Amino acid sequence: MGSDEEDFVFHGTPIEREEEIASRKKKAVAGASGNLRTLPAWKQEVTDEEGRRRFHGAFTGGYSAGYYNTVGSKEGWAPQSFTSSRKNRAGARKQSISDFLDEDEKADMEGKSLSASSQFDTFGFTAAEHSRKQAEKEQHERPSAIPGPVPDELVAPVSESIGVKLLLKMGWRRGHSIKDVRASSDARREARKAFLAFSTDEITKETPDSLVSETEAETSLGPQFNEDIKNSESTPVYVLNPKQDLHGLGYDPFKHAPEFREKKRSRLSANKEVGFRKPLSMKESLFGPKSGKIAPGFGIGALEELDVEDEDVYAGYDFDQTYVIEDEQPARPSNDNRLRLTSKEHDVLPGFGAAKNSDYSMERFNPPKIPKDFVARHKFSGPLEAETKPTVSAPPEVPPPADNNLKLLIEGFATFVSRCGKLYEDLSREKNQSNQLFDFLREGNGHDYYARRLWEEQQKRKDQSKLTLDVKLSPTVQKMTAETRGSLLGEKPLQRSLKETDTSASSGGSFQFPTNLSDTFTKSASSQEAADAVKPFKDDPAKQERFEQFLKEKYKGGLRTTDSNRVNSMSESARAQERLDFEAAAEAIEKGKAYKEVRRATEQPIDFLAGGLQFTSGGTEQINDTGVVDMKSSKTYPKREEFQWRPSPLLCKRFDLPDPFMGKLPPAPRARNKMDSLIFLPDTVKATRQVSESQEPKKETSIEEPEVEVEVENVERPVDLYKAIFSDDSEDDEDQPITGKIQEGQEKKNEAAATTLNRLIAGDFLESLGKELGFEVPSDVPYQEGIKPIEEESKSRSKPEDSSDKRLDRSGLKEKVEEKRSSLILGSEEEKSRKKREKSPRKRSGGNDLSSGESSGDERRRKRSNRKDRHRNNNSESDSSSDYHNQDKQGSRSRRKRRESSREKRSSHKKHSKHHRTKKSSSSRYSSDEEQKESRQEKKRRRD
Amino acid sequence: MSATELPTKEAHILKGHEGAVLAARFNGDGNYALTCGKDRTIRLWNPHRGILIKTYKSHGREVRDVHVTSDNAKFCSCGGDRQVYYWDVSTGRVIRKFRGHDGEVNAVKFNDSSSVVVSAGFDRSLRVWDCRSHSVEPVQIIDTFLDTVMSVVLTKTEIIGGSVDGTVRTFDMRIGREMSDNLGQPVNCISISNDGNCVLAGCLDSTLRLLDRTTGELLQVYKGHISKSFKTDCCLTNSDAHVIGGSEDGLVFFWDLVDAKVVSKFRAHDLVVTSVSYHPKEDCMLTSSVDGTIRVWKK
Repeated sequence: MGSDEEDFVFHGTPIEREEEIASRKKKAVAGASGNLRTLPAWKQEVTDEEGRRRFHGAFTGGYSAGYYNTVGSKEGWAPQSFTSSRKNRAGARKQSISDFLDEDEKADMEGKSLSASSQFDTFGFTAAEHSRKQAEKEQHERPSAIPGPVPDELVAPVSESIGVKLLLKMGWRRGHSIKDVRASSDARREARKAFLAFSTDEITKETPDSLVSETEAETSLGPQFNEDIKNSESTPVYVLNPKQDLHGLGYDPFKHAPEFREKKRSRLSANKEVGFRKPLSMKESLFGPKSGKIAPGFGIGALEELDVEDEDVYAGYDFDQTYVIEDEQPARPSNDNRLRLTSKEHDVLPGFGAAKNSDYSMERFNPPKIPKDFVARHKFSGPLEAETKPTVSAPPEVPPPADNNLKLLIEGFATFVSRCGKLYEDLSREKNQSNQLFDFLREGNGHDYYARRLWEEQQKRKDQSKLTLDVKLSPTVQKMTAETRGSLLGEKPLQRSLKETDTSASSGGSFQFPTNLSDTFTKSASSQEAADAVKPFKDDPAKQERFEQFLKEKYKGGLRTTDSNRVNSMSESARAQERLDFEAAAEAIEKGKAYKEVRRATEQPIDFLAGGLQFTSGGTEQINDTGVVDMKSSKTYPKREEFQWRPSPLLCKRFDLPDPFMGKLPPAPRARNKMDSLIFLPDTVKATRQVSESQEPKKETSIEEPEVEVEVENVERPVDLYKAIFSDDSEDDEDQPITGKIQEGQEKKNEAAATTLNRLIAGDFLESLGKELGFEVPSDVPYQEGIKPIEEESKSRSKPEDSSDKRLDRSGLKEKVEEKRSSLILGSEEEKSRKKREKSPRKRSGGNDLSSGESSGDERRRKRSNRKDRHRNNNSESDSSSDYHNQDKQGSRSRRKRRESSREKRSSHKKHSKHHRTKKSSSSRYSSDEEQKESRQEKKRRRD
Repeated sequence: MSATELPTKEAHILKGHEGAVLAARFNGDGNYALTCGKDRTIRLWNPHRGILIKTYKSHGREVRDVHVTSDNAKFCSCGGDRQVYYWDVSTGRVIRKFRGHDGEVNAVKFNDSSSVVVSAGFDRSLRVWDCRSHSVEPVQIIDTFLDTVMSVVLTKTEIIGGSVDGTVRTFDMRIGREMSDNLGQPVNCISISNDGNCVLAGCLDSTLRLLDRTTGELLQVYKGHISKSFKTDCCLTNSDAHVIGGSEDGLVFFWDLVDAKVVSKFRAHDLVVTSVSYHPKEDCMLTSSVDGTIRVWKK
């Protein structure tokens, strides 16, 4: 049969196989994803969405004409059936092109695509295009003066669209962005200024020409700002960009490495500036916006963010060589330079000559002449000035009146009047006409003294104001006395007057003058105190002063006088830097205060606050008193402390050492168990904290100390907790009586069985939990010996009344025993027991509530009433025990407090360990809220 | 030993690192040296002949410290990528990476038996990593430091760490105690005397302090160099007669151990001297610098 096959004759082209279709589809997908784009134009294939190769339309004889290689319909091309009947004559049907076109072709032909008509063509792209075409057409028709196509600039759009007109009316200008840059720019400008100030700091130092550096900085500032500029160019602006290189037209050597363009430009500009500054180095242009100091050459991955740690701390090591060698850039011909020079000199374009007589001449105006008697100071005709004139002659010195109160009053009043002006005097005179005390205002007792005081005060004020003026006029004066500074800040006179009023108040004077109002609001006394106490810029009085001013303003609400602290000798960057310094200092002072408070509580000596809280700005100022530091350090350092530290068993093994803690309890340090964090701390704890803290003997506690502390306490049976979880016996108990006495006996049995079962379960659970947490589980013995209250309660029901007395005794005994026993138990156990205790009393008290009749059901109460008698003892007993537990809880709380306080100490240590470090190590910041979390973390770490 | 016996003559200059060299360490017998630097490589040299033997690349960021085992088979390194690498010297492959530090790792050391690596990190902790087992979890984390741990030294029974919090903490495994010696100044580098009795701590107040280890007493203070902002090393000569310290201005200082006089100082590099390492037996010294070179100094 094989020979039969050879007899077949094939006609036509074979049908394509499935695989080929599949591959075509693949190709189409690939083409869609742009793989084919890279091919040269003649290799690219046009495919339809099915992946078939396609030429366009039926007319072009395409490969895939029509619908799925058919014509017209899904069913395929079907010849139009020609039907004609007598009634319905088939006319000569007129065919149109659209019959043979695909959808997209139709769309193309019919111009369905959207485009702006010239009227709404806001930016005149089409209009410009149109007009240019028009102009070209005209060009052909008539010869013009300028040969060649008309430059774009010369041809304006034919008409302005409505949009443009509107925009122009709204204040938009050509060549600017439409998007409202200005709105955001104000805020941004400030940030940018600071930014610039920082980045140009060094540059400005080097170049006297700040303008140049400004622009340079702008270029180096990088994307976020450049983008801004780019965005704003939404309309075509014709930028004159002269071709200065010798590359071919349109050739861009930096096409694939735009970073180097920046570099080159900067080098060019640097050449122009004749070595005022070094060219922007490589790293600046590459990584400029990210970080200024990147270790050169060793970039990290493109996907990695540059981090703080990538900063090149070893600055100074500079790779100067460039990485792109442009061999296309020949040396500029020397004559070119010369030409440019000459052209610059003569102010004419090359090839042009200067006109001999120009019509244009700069008209210069002389500055206005200042009259000789002009004083360049504005005088306010305020009441203060006005009244100083009549009292030019000093009143004679008068001994103060005998009455001390009166004297104080007069003095205070005089000060006040000198401050507020004559007006106040008149006012108060009017007001206090009947007041005997104010007789001195009207020629009465002490008037002479008052006049003298007033004059003195006024003189003083004049001096002060003169001083301030002087200071203002010469800001370079660095050394200032405390008084002048005070007068500048308006501090000292205030405090003096305050003192006066204070003394007058204390000495019985009943007058208090409304002092400087703004001060009462603005001055945060605490901050002022802090600033006075800690002067972080001691070595620079001017700066300290500015800092104080800053502090003052910081705590002032509302508007800030931005200009007040501007010393014109400072640069923008220096100011920004200083402001940061101040912020840091203020923060540190706050912290320091907080720390001091802590210290007051803990009585722990700190050394870094004294030694370390010296702020230096930018490394320019150094702590010079190293000698003093050494003196101090030699006295206090080195300081040795010893703590317990537990090496892990594996570590000891690896070091071939016996484990010093072999077989001992696992370290309790900070190993607070999981449950601890789950237990809700009642609010009352906070109250007790203070008490317990103050009662505690304050001593320097080591970290480990709380754990080895031996506690005397009652150890609750752990089953309590688990029983509370596993068996809701109290509920059951309440319901059982309904069934009657007989059943009750049985119930009791069941209950007893249940409790033992529970105990077993609980024991197992506890054991496993203990194992998990690494604790030693107390043995079963105490269970039998000491029976916990709830169990007792339940058991008591089945037992006769008289046992209650015994039980009381026993519980007392039990307590003793437990006290003894627990005294041996170390931290972990104690903690565990505390946990249990904290949980259990709450539960029990709930049970008590139920049994004492707070439950709602009347019937239930009735039923219970006959049992109540029997239970009374129990209740009282359990009450007392719960009291006892409460007490104990308090004890444990205080213990916890202690531990917490010691932890706080540690945390505060961390907080202040090095204030510049804390910036980075955020984990060292705690708030009391986070303490729980923190402890958990700590625990986890411990357990790791 | 007089000043003339100190290794102050340049024998070789080892070039190859691009960028700052952050540490240079002799191996156990002093025949080879390992250096590491900002260029993320670790290089193995024969410093006596001035030949680069091998370059180890795997770190993602700068390598800050390196230490080789006493049998020269393995070494460990650490750096800015927060990991501790455990390498095979001959194949140049990374055997293990120990992750866990939350910050850059400043220093690593093997213990005597090379069974564990101890690393000191920016995350204020010392971590002990096990080389014997396949576990990549730390054997122990010591986190009692209050600030960055800059340097770590191991003895047979102790782990000693120096931290920016100003303390040198000794963790004694035999008695389970931690001895904290507070110097009041950030500790940059610690090294132990060859007799094991003293610890030399380089502090950031441009002072080296010599502490008695048993009592915590301050024995001597060495000054003259500059060490304020960079991690610069200090060490003792193998005879414990002199103290060596690198300075930020490129000088290397030799002090007499006892009377703290500057016996010799010379310009070793143009820029910050990051590391000094003294030969365990001969009078030979390695210095590395930010200028990218390592120099070998001999008598």
